[in-house]
Amino acid sequence: MESTFYQVLELVLNFGLPFLLLLVAYIVGTMLEKGHFRSIRKRESEYATFPVVTFDTMPDDWSASSSTLVSGSVVISLDYFKRVIAGLRAIVGGRIKTYEPLLERARREAMLRMIEDARRDGYDAIFNVRLETSRLANSRRDGKGTAGVEMLAFGTAVKFASRFARAQ
Amino acid sequence: MKFIPRQPREGINVSDTHPLVEAGTLVAGLTLIFVFIALLLIFLVEIALYFIPVEKEVALFEDWLPEDLITVSPADERLHQAQLLVDRLAFHWADAPYTFRVEIDDSDVANAMALPGGLIIVTEGLLDQVESENELAFVLGHELGHFRNRDHLRALGRGIVLSLFLATTMGNDVSSISVTVTDLTLRGFSRQQESSADEFGLALVYTHYGHVDEAWRLFEKWDNDDRIMPGVVSYTSTHPDAGDRVEKLKDQALREGWPIEGLITGLKW
Ligand SMILES: [Zn+2]
Repeated sequence: MESTFYQVLELVLNFGLPFLLLLVAYIVGTMLEKGHFRSIRKRESEYATFPVVTFDTMPDDWSASSSTLVSGSVVISLDYFKRVIAGLRAIVGGRIKTYEPLLERARREAMLRMIEDARRDGYDAIFNVRLETSRLANSRRDGKGTAGVEMLAFGTAVKFASRFARAQ
Repeated sequence: MKFIPRQPREGINVSDTHPLVEAGTLVAGLTLIFVFIALLLIFLVEIALYFIPVEKEVALFEDWLPEDLITVSPADERLHQAQLLVDRLAFHWADAPYTFRVEIDDSDVANAMALPGGLIIVTEGLLDQVESENELAFVLGHELGHFRNRDHLRALGRGIVLSLFLATTMGNDVSSISVTVTDLTLRGFSRQQESSADEFGLALVYTHYGHVDEAWRLFEKWDNDDRIMPGVVSYTSTHPDAGDRVEKLKDQALREGWPIEGLITGLKW
């Protein structure tokens, strides 16, 4: 039966290709995510001693000579695998576990970029740090799909009046 | 105040479930749920069929026509002849509860379908390929077989189940599915339902003509066409395995001792 061949071909095209895409998305997505986390951890340990606090006023024992607004923002896209799994999760509800590392990366990366922003200009510490997030709608016709998330970290960076003040 | 350097703690904000485990759990769980719901709905369809007598079905769908149907002129001779043929065949179905209506759809693809309320639709494409009344009689008899087994309503129920399933898995809004009754009825006739309708149709043809000559000629033709260009013949997409069915029909005729040769009645148009 020649028509069996076409049926198999149709089956492969209909289900095989999306599955392959899913597999590729998973492998590549996992690799990129692992790489990103490695980079995040490395930079975090590098900047570990840089004071970053969320007080909305400058701590009393800091004496600053200058201050500025610093910010760091990052946009991260979902991979196809995460999106599909989240779609399945949306049917029954519950924690969207595949999105958690995505947002974790975004938060930490945004903080790091903010710190890098401050350090590049020789600032010594940041206070009043805030995090904000927004969703990027993608180009789907209904505008409902999500292309990715933006995470923004910002705060007030200060230069200490003397090196001594930083010793604390 | 002392600033204590500290790196973000891992494993607080990110669940340590492996993504593949999460995927597997979801797929397996949802499959189970869907299978359960599908079985439940199919079961409910069967129950509903038991409680919806044919009279009610006929009353509900008495004047109904599919929206996308493009009918030929009511004065068309083929319509008249097809209706006559159905009536004559149905005469051999003792106490048939339906009053059958025939409509011809202006479509080039050869197809015939049984729809709720005793509506039989044949396409112009099918009529163009029919060369004798005997061939047409079997196609119509087959559709009568679907009515006798109430396959058209079963398919309707299963069609709804399938649409719901597709709508949820494709992530569409369930409220946004728009499917016509025709679509639904055409989905999911099982091989068994087809065989059973075939048997009934052939019996009607034999009772009417006294032989079964040319009853399955169209199927043989479609089977050949399908081998050359699969998927082109529409009838075979809703009525699969033309070749298989021809074999079964031949077996049936042999078993019952029905003559496979006889006087062919020409078309009267
Ligand atoms: Zn059929």
